[in-house]
Amino acid sequence: MSYSILIVDDSLPMRSVIKRTLKAAGYGSAELLEAANGQEALDLMKNSWVDIVITDYNMPVMNGLDFIKAIKSNDLSKDIPVIVISTEGNESKIKEFMACGAAGYITKPFAAEAIRDLMVNILGEVNYEEDFDDSSEDLDF
Amino acid sequence: MKKILMTAVKTSISEVMETMFFLPVEFGQESILAQSGIDKDNFACQLTFTGDASGRLIIMAPKSLVAEMAENFMGEAKGLLTDEHLSGTLTEMLNMVCGNALSKTDSKVPFELGIPEMINASEVSEKEMVTIVETTESKMAIALKVD
Repeated sequence: MSYSILIVDDSLPMRSVIKRTLKAAGYGSAELLEAANGQEALDLMKNSWVDIVITDYNMPVMNGLDFIKAIKSNDLSKDIPVIVISTEGNESKIKEFMACGAAGYITKPFAAEAIRDLMVNILGEVNYEEDFDDSSEDLDF
Repeated sequence: MKKILMTAVKTSISEVMETMFFLPVEFGQESILAQSGIDKDNFACQLTFTGDASGRLIIMAPKSLVAEMAENFMGEAKGLLTDEHLSGTLTEMLNMVCGNALSKTDSKVPFELGIPEMINASEVSEKEMVTIVETTESKMAIALKVD
């Protein structure tokens, strides 16, 4: 099964890193959508099907917390799992995200395995024969 | 508080530079910017924070080092990297360092980060106290200002 994954981060390099990580983790055939903040992501989701969202917290216009609240308050999107990748590693912030409905939380700097393990935990094992992108590079981090 | 924060910042710089940019670092002496050997034509960015203590963290780095960081971070050849990639890499590095460092402090009030922004390195005072961060072939400077 090929997934549609929405990556929300105001940092262009970080979006590239997450895309590479996903490809190396076996999601090479997934449709990878990008948005630079929560509002841009909500606008994109009006016209695109999304299976899972990976979002940053600290973004201009609409931050990751308000973005999750908006997703979870809409009947059409409330069941879409959301993974937060953020520099904010304090326990109270993580609890706040989980209470708002986040499916998982990864603190930067992160290891590629952290994203892969969380994705597999939420979506199930990747069918490598179908999805593995052998053109992707190995990631060391 | 500044001493505790600076210790956390140094630890975070080591973690972030090695984990995300594959560049081990060593720390040099603290000095004023004018005597640090850091040029004014470097890339520079700053990030404000609020919490138990409020202030800002500034990083200044030469373009060649930022390009090396971006290349390692994104897995793209230097020739394909735009200025947006370079500035985005430096701001993301500062964001990770600051967030990671503040998470290490035992603060009563949760810290909140601003949005990292590129600044002109000439805006940083010559008298600003900076700490040198050395990589194998280059160096950058960090300044922590606590209000």
